[in-house]
Amino acid sequence: MVSSQDTAAFGELVRRHQSHVRNFLRKLSGDHTLADDLAQDSFIHAWEKLQTYSGRGSFIGWLLKVAYTTFLQSKRKTKRYAEIINSAGHVADQESRSQVLPDDEITDLEKFLAVLTEEERAIMVMSYACGLSHREIGDATDLPVGTVKSVIFRGKEKIRNSFDIKDHNHG
Amino acid sequence: MISKIIIMAERIKDAEDRLLESMFASPPLADDGFSVRVVRKINRRLWLRRLTLPIATIIGGFIAFKPLSGLVAVLSSLSSLIPTDTINMATSSIPQFQTVVLGAILLAVCLLSTRLLDN
Repeated sequence: MVSSQDTAAFGELVRRHQSHVRNFLRKLSGDHTLADDLAQDSFIHAWEKLQTYSGRGSFIGWLLKVAYTTFLQSKRKTKRYAEIINSAGHVADQESRSQVLPDDEITDLEKFLAVLTEEERAIMVMSYACGLSHREIGDATDLPVGTVKSVIFRGKEKIRNSFDIKDHNHG
Repeated sequence: MISKIIIMAERIKDAEDRLLESMFASPPLADDGFSVRVVRKINRRLWLRRLTLPIATIIGGFIAFKPLSGLVAVLSSLSSLIPTDTINMATSSIPQFQTVVLGAILLAVCLLSTRLLDN
């Protein structure tokens, strides 16, 4: 267990889990630079909330919960910022900021994720990319296990209906 | 027992699940100084937090000095209103009366400031 002052031990935890957290946020946001910034913020939040980790459930599950909350908070802030920019009449400037990938750089996974809602995307990534159990996903998203299962079912159905998933490129 | 069965049922994956897993899988990302940057940021925050309290105390003390000195002056002028007989009586019945009062005031100030710092 890491004490609240042992930054070196926490650094080891960051080194061990950074790949999972960064990959999760990259898939969620679709922007690598933003995802890495959010991952840094997530680990700092995790450090500050470390005493709230009860030891029940996996540490990576708890970390992904912190990362998901950080992502949602950032999304809310960006939305608010966009509203202010729009109200000030700088629509063109805002549009030029958004990063749009060229069609040939979009992987199949990104296309699959695009048909899902934000919540479905987060849950599908937690389940299929991070290997979290339904209960861990429920803990991370504050949703009942039954809802998690139905969201996964719905997500799979959407992907199945939109694409022939047998013919894909790994993303 | 039931929860174990549920977990086992969750682990039974069909071909579609395995396919989705392979699609969602991505190679592990190299650290490339990421963890060092996070720890550096945390250390910086810790230092800032440690420095904030003493600096705030010094600034607060500096700002509060003038009104406090005024208050002391007012209190000392008010003390002249207390009949000298009362002070003499207290001093004679308790020889270290002034020290006791001073100690009580200091204790109260210490307790109050500890509470404020805690908050």
